[in-house]
Amino acid sequence: MEIIGRISRGTKMDQIYIPKTRQGLNPGDYVVITPLDKKINQKTKEKPYFYNVKNLEPIKMIIINNIFSIIEEKIRNYKNIIITGSFLETGSDFKDIDIIIIGNEKVNKGEIEKELEKYLGIKFDIISLDNKTLISGLNSDPLYQMMLSKCISKKRFLYKIKKEINYKLLDLHLLKSKNLLEGFSLMRGREKYYSIRNIISIKLFLEKNKLSNEIVNREIENIFKISITDIKENMIDNPKFIKNYNKLYNSLFKKIMSRTKNASK
Amino acid sequence: MPQNRNQFIDILIGNLANAIVHTILEKSIDKQELISKYRNETINSYDIAKRYREKINPIAEPFPIKDISYIKEKLSNKVRAELNLRISKGYQNINLDLINIEINKALKELSIE
Repeated sequence: MEIIGRISRGTKMDQIYIPKTRQGLNPGDYVVITPLDKKINQKTKEKPYFYNVKNLEPIKMIIINNIFSIIEEKIRNYKNIIITGSFLETGSDFKDIDIIIIGNEKVNKGEIEKELEKYLGIKFDIISLDNKTLISGLNSDPLYQMMLSKCISKKRFLYKIKKEINYKLLDLHLLKSKNLLEGFSLMRGREKYYSIRNIISIKLFLEKNKLSNEIVNREIENIFKISITDIKENMIDNPKFIKNYNKLYNSLFKKIMSRTKNASK
Repeated sequence: MPQNRNQFIDILIGNLANAIVHTILEKSIDKQELISKYRNETINSYDIAKRYREKINPIAEPFPIKDISYIKEKLSNKVRAELNLRISKGYQNINLDLINIEINKALKELSIE
């Protein structure tokens, strides 16, 4: 229990008044009194910022704090450190931890990834970029929007998305999802999920919708009538799914290509 | 198992084609922002192709000539089709002469040829 009180002047001794109705802090208990401003400073220094992360296991919080301090030791002039990706989902269903380091200095990604892996025994994937690239990515790239829709950052960051559609970039992303049609029977469930997630995020981006994992997953389930768990566990009903997927791929490709022509003029 | 091998080869071709398309598209533009995205995509697709290559026998030696011809022909058709499609939609400066050069380079790097 914590109570904030104010020291008031007494005749022989100063005192702090606390409410009579309270849980704990009984008369006779010994307590520690510390100045509030120091405590606030200490807390704000240590507490990362959560964006759309509702629950996080305490062990993951310990890992995140370790990541921040290891990176801080390596890079002095960073603007922010952001943790994102499947590590922030409940449970331990993640392959590696995705980190974005924002700053103007060139970062030796490989060295930091090795250092983090050595101390924490987990694989890391670091992206390093400057603020301008981050903002432009958020404005025009569905992948950036997905990535930052759920994250934890060392420092507060505020951004306003001014959506710009770069059709060549969307064409590039869409081409990634074409392989699913060719290698369907041999692809693993997770690979299929990433291809499907990619195509759906492009669809939603073109429709000017907001992007987040939850929104994209909901749309996948709605369009293909299959649960995300079934996709990840490779239990997709083959012919019907492929037909729908092919139809969606072709319609998005047509849409993007017709705009690319106008954009290139 | 041979059926699996053929399917693995097809996935390998799909990813290699993707990597080569992006390498050639990268060389056709001068927008730094897009260049790095094309490069990343090339690396990702190439890494996936490499993973599939490691699953196909013979692992440490070049493929039989019959397989090499099949892969080259399919790769060339795929890459050409994707690039031609984009040229017809207004993409500029795409050098189709790079297709065979990039295919030969990739097949050597993956010990296919």
